[in-house]
Amino acid sequence: MTAQTVQQGDLVTVIGLEVHVQLETDTKIFCGCSTDRTDEPNENVCPVCLGLPGALPVLNEAAVEGAVKIGKAIDADIPEETRFHRKNYYYPDLPKNFQITQYDEPICQEGELEVSVEGDRRTVAIERAHLEEDPGSLQHVGGGGGIDSAEYTLVDYNRAGTPLMEIVTAPDFRSPSEVRAFLAKLEEVLEYLGVFDAERDGSLRIDANLSIIPEEEIESGDVTDIGAEALAAANRTEVKNISSHKGAEKALAYEETRQKNAIQRGRAVEQETRHWDESRGITVSMRSKEEEKDYRYFEEADLPPLQVAHWKDEISIPELPSARRERFQDEYGLNEEAASKLTSTKQVADFYEDVASEFDPDLAATWVADNLLGELNYRDMAITDLEGRFEEVTRLVELVAEEEITAKNARETVLRSMLDDEKAPDAIVEDEGLGKTDEDEVQQAVVAAIDENPDAVDDYASGDDGAINFLVGQVMQKTGGSADPGDVNQLLRAELEG
Amino acid sequence: MSDDIFITEETIHGDDDGPLAGTTVAVKDNISTEGVRTTCGSKMLAEYVPPYDATVVSRLKEAGATIVGKANMDEFGMGSTTETSHFGSTENPAAPGHVPGGSSGGSAAAVAAGEADVALGSDTGGSIRCPAAFCGVVGIKPTYGLVSRYGLVAYGNSLEQIGPFGETVEDAAALLDVISGHDERDATTHEVPIEDDASYADAATGDVDGLSIGVPTELLEGADEGVVETFWGAIADLEDRGAESHEVSLPSVEHAVEAYYVIAMSEASSNLARFDGVRYGHSSDAEGNWNERFAQTRKEGFGDEVKRRILLGTYALSAGYHDKYYKKAQDARAWVKQDFDEALSEADVLASPTMPVPPFELGESLDDPLQMYLADANTVPVNLADLPAISVPAGETDGLPVGLQLVGPAFGEERLIRAASALA
Ligand SMILES: [Zn+2]
Repeated sequence: MTAQTVQQGDLVTVIGLEVHVQLETDTKIFCGCSTDRTDEPNENVCPVCLGLPGALPVLNEAAVEGAVKIGKAIDADIPEETRFHRKNYYYPDLPKNFQITQYDEPICQEGELEVSVEGDRRTVAIERAHLEEDPGSLQHVGGGGGIDSAEYTLVDYNRAGTPLMEIVTAPDFRSPSEVRAFLAKLEEVLEYLGVFDAERDGSLRIDANLSIIPEEEIESGDVTDIGAEALAAANRTEVKNISSHKGAEKALAYEETRQKNAIQRGRAVEQETRHWDESRGITVSMRSKEEEKDYRYFEEADLPPLQVAHWKDEISIPELPSARRERFQDEYGLNEEAASKLTSTKQVADFYEDVASEFDPDLAATWVADNLLGELNYRDMAITDLEGRFEEVTRLVELVAEEEITAKNARETVLRSMLDDEKAPDAIVEDEGLGKTDEDEVQQAVVAAIDENPDAVDDYASGDDGAINFLVGQVMQKTGGSADPGDVNQLLRAELEG
Repeated sequence: MSDDIFITEETIHGDDDGPLAGTTVAVKDNISTEGVRTTCGSKMLAEYVPPYDATVVSRLKEAGATIVGKANMDEFGMGSTTETSHFGSTENPAAPGHVPGGSSGGSAAAVAAGEADVALGSDTGGSIRCPAAFCGVVGIKPTYGLVSRYGLVAYGNSLEQIGPFGETVEDAAALLDVISGHDERDATTHEVPIEDDASYADAATGDVDGLSIGVPTELLEGADEGVVETFWGAIADLEDRGAESHEVSLPSVEHAVEAYYVIAMSEASSNLARFDGVRYGHSSDAEGNWNERFAQTRKEGFGDEVKRRILLGTYALSAGYHDKYYKKAQDARAWVKQDFDEALSEADVLASPTMPVPPFELGESLDDPLQMYLADANTVPVNLADLPAISVPAGETDGLPVGLQLVGPAFGEERLIRAASALA
């Protein structure tokens, strides 16, 4: 790109992504080794994933199943037949010094994902998604901490052979916040499909290409429609080492500013690869274009072409978040906000539907979306932390629905104690004496309080509303605090005015 | 004689009984044996001891065979003389002063010298058939996918198969019975039902009555006169027993050697990339960063022929040359397959001299790799076409063994065994 002085407002940011997702399978993609994370290095290894001479890959069908699910979820074309290729390069984390991946016949092509960015719906084109094997992991010890500056480097092949899906988008993003929204949405979809575990360290790795294009080079005047020529003319940087949607937004915001500043000062943007340094919050130059690698792709003859046409029909995927959100609004009469909260993860949505099938859907929504998620969020907990305790939460909702305890006590005392002390709801009600008093008993206490306190009754009659509080206090005293003060208030007014 | 046949002499006992009980087997040293070093004839793997058995080795043990040693070979299978071995050459027991052929020269020599009853070799472009022909024994290159390659250290993985040697066709066929069939560890293997007989060994009846033999004229062109004469003598022998022969054509084979070497070297450049000294094998103690250490390890560990093929293969796959070499070679491979299909629609089997020349003298071809590559002209087309072939002794020329090669349709091993058993 020719360096030219232009105003920030005249510049358009163009971003495309390569997202690496670890697929959640029991065993590795080409051997029977477990994908469990262990503390011991080089424990889950065998001749195949160590690349021992003579070992051969055999494709794990569970990985293919995960890939087909992703393909269906992003509405991609899944071909009749898909093939594997070798990507040849030397690196100490790569046992065979080539990676088995897919090249010109990937398992998914031309998909899309709709995201909502600040209220606008945007469709991001996904050019391709393909299966490949993860390399091992390196730990640089001493020295400068990089592979060329460390004293020595340790290699752990436990990760080698973990199935990866690489998802490549079109350069459809115009801002770092769009990238963040897309990645969050992608994660949500992947979790819904049950093919991905966001909690797992390194399960999501993102490379992003960012270039800045002067607005006048966009012929149609529509910023979402950028010609291939304008894109090719602009120098781009590839930002590596991004591991979350929040990190992506930060890294790309930094890179966007860096490039815009360079252009405004009349300097050219280098075409290069840059490393996102999360702790310093900056991107650092890794290597320039001249050193671009030739991977010498060619077909992996050890894996016959895979016929996937019938897999598409045989594999079903669960209802996706957007469809479920709409159904929640229709079926349970929820507003969009509540429906969104309740479909944020598959587990939350499943639990909500469980509760709503037994109790009033509105009550269920209040309890799951507001009370439960609110208290969990406040404690930095997730729904997954309640694994095995859903019945207890359901019981709590039941206690409220059947008016055995007050909503206030249920929320402020029982739920909090359940989360903080891991006690069961009935035990808390018992220990705290929260059981709602029998209605007759409350009614009797109301009548007695009125009989015993004629002065307060007179004050109330003469317009002193404060007198009611005194009477409520009397009733509460008689019932040992188990009555609901709001209910008592209403009962007193009804009795006094009746 | 035997001291140059094996790289490692080691007795590995199999189960007490089984179809190969009492049978001794030599195993080419690129087939992994648990606990016994597997060197591929290379300094790179001189000390490498695999922690696992190749599928064929497990099957040998289950069949009751006794493995007597790991046989010498050209380094990583790259050669036709067994002279590129880091451990020195092997003399041909059937033709003293001459090479045993290669790359499975030690395996063929073991059978020819009586050091083993049968042997396993591997054939990427003729590496079983060439030494079988040179040593005057029988060698079978199975259809691609008939025998598991799990544990076979790869050279050209889209081309190669493990196969048996024997003094007779029946002996080799009995070994094929044990090692063939689907293996869940090799995704390219098939279960192939044997149609007419209970086993490959049972097919060795020598019945060639009514057999139609096609002789591709292109595979006789440029061959040594004495070899051609011996070849026609063997064909006449088969005709005396009721077979008939006629000429057929395989026009594409003139490109086969070039296509074969481009594909085999390209695959080799990738298959041999794993030898970097990090996990196993030779590791240079030179100073430098990881990249320099990798380079130094490979410089020290590989011999000249291996380096030559890795460099040529890397070049053929490189951006800008990929279409000109690798892709063109794949196109040629498809033509060769098609030519074989057509020729085999006009004949039951195709026959040619296995090697166009008699065994080289020791040291003769080392300085001229191209001469060595061209000697593979009759064997490499078969690997390009994934077909089965057998080499049987056809006689001698000037006291040197000559082999006859029969090629059949995919998974037509029974037919080849039946026909070839008329000669040995
Ligand atoms: Zn493994």
